[in-house]
Amino acid sequence: MDSIDDVLAEADRAWRAYGVGTADRTALATDLRLDLQAAAADGVDAARLLGGDVAGFARRLAVEAGVRRVRRDYGRVLRTALAGAVLGGVLAYAVLITMYPVFVRLIDIPRSVQVPIQVAVAVYYGVPALVVVAGAVLAVRLRLRDLPRIRRTGWMMSLLIPIAGILVTPLTMAFAWSTDYSTAPPVVLTEVAMVLAALAGATLLARRWSLRDRRKASGPSSPTAPEIAPA
Amino acid sequence: MVAVESQPADDTERQTQLLRGALDMCLLALLAREPAHGYELVRRMATAGFGAISYGTIYPLLTRMRRLGLVADEQQVSPTGPPRKVYALTDSGRVQLAAWQQQWTRFADTVAAVLTAPDHSPTRS
Repeated sequence: MDSIDDVLAEADRAWRAYGVGTADRTALATDLRLDLQAAAADGVDAARLLGGDVAGFARRLAVEAGVRRVRRDYGRVLRTALAGAVLGGVLAYAVLITMYPVFVRLIDIPRSVQVPIQVAVAVYYGVPALVVVAGAVLAVRLRLRDLPRIRRTGWMMSLLIPIAGILVTPLTMAFAWSTDYSTAPPVVLTEVAMVLAALAGATLLARRWSLRDRRKASGPSSPTAPEIAPA
Repeated sequence: MVAVESQPADDTERQTQLLRGALDMCLLALLAREPAHGYELVRRMATAGFGAISYGTIYPLLTRMRRLGLVADEQQVSPTGPPRKVYALTDSGRVQLAAWQQQWTRFADTVAAVLTAPDHSPTRS
């Protein structure tokens, strides 16, 4: 059984590298396990049966099974999202600098109205943050139109990146507090890295989730109920 | 890719080329006699005289034939262990096998006729 598990683990890595989706990988592995178990019952070791090239076998099997390859393109999605976020950040900064005095002049809040500091901070930092997120999402949607399920990826990003931002903000603030709000380059770089890591993680998760269950209906397994035949 | 082992290199390559166009038909023919799992088909092919065709060749081909609806898998009770999944011909597999058999017979007859025809042309050195 160990040999079968080892072979299936290696085949699974090959299928992942080849871009086979989760549902198809599961179906292929289930079928292959049953066949290898039948061979093992005849005393044939799975690793010996497949020889040394399990990865090549796995790719051939995926091709013959007619599974659809999924282009995840994590690297492209991440780079594009980062570029969009940077552009969005620049745009947000420019808007903030140029429009803030205008807003202050236009909206003259009476002194009797007390705006909670949390609301002020949320608006002041939240609006630019939304522009950054919008930049990342738009960049991915527009630049990567050729990728499958990119629209769904964009939707997931618009959901997950703000959540990641909300989660990482107190962590980053806590880190800043622990360093007595130091502005030393290593500290600032660490804070930037924390935020970027959270946003990158959210982007990758969005891509991964958007490709889940891509092909449930027509996996390699036979949809018909198995028949029991005498030996 | 068809891999045939245990033969001299030239013969093996030639055998591989010949088998490439007939392997799926032979597998269907073997399954028409009795359902089998992948490794069992490897053994039957060897017993039939094709040499040791690798499992890595047979099993993906079996998977393709299932995708095409020529074979279907079914569970077979095993007296020695858990139920085994075996492959059996479907109705469309039988139809396809019959068509391929006719095509092969015509082809083989044509080849045989060419090979056995008297050659009156002088041999050039």
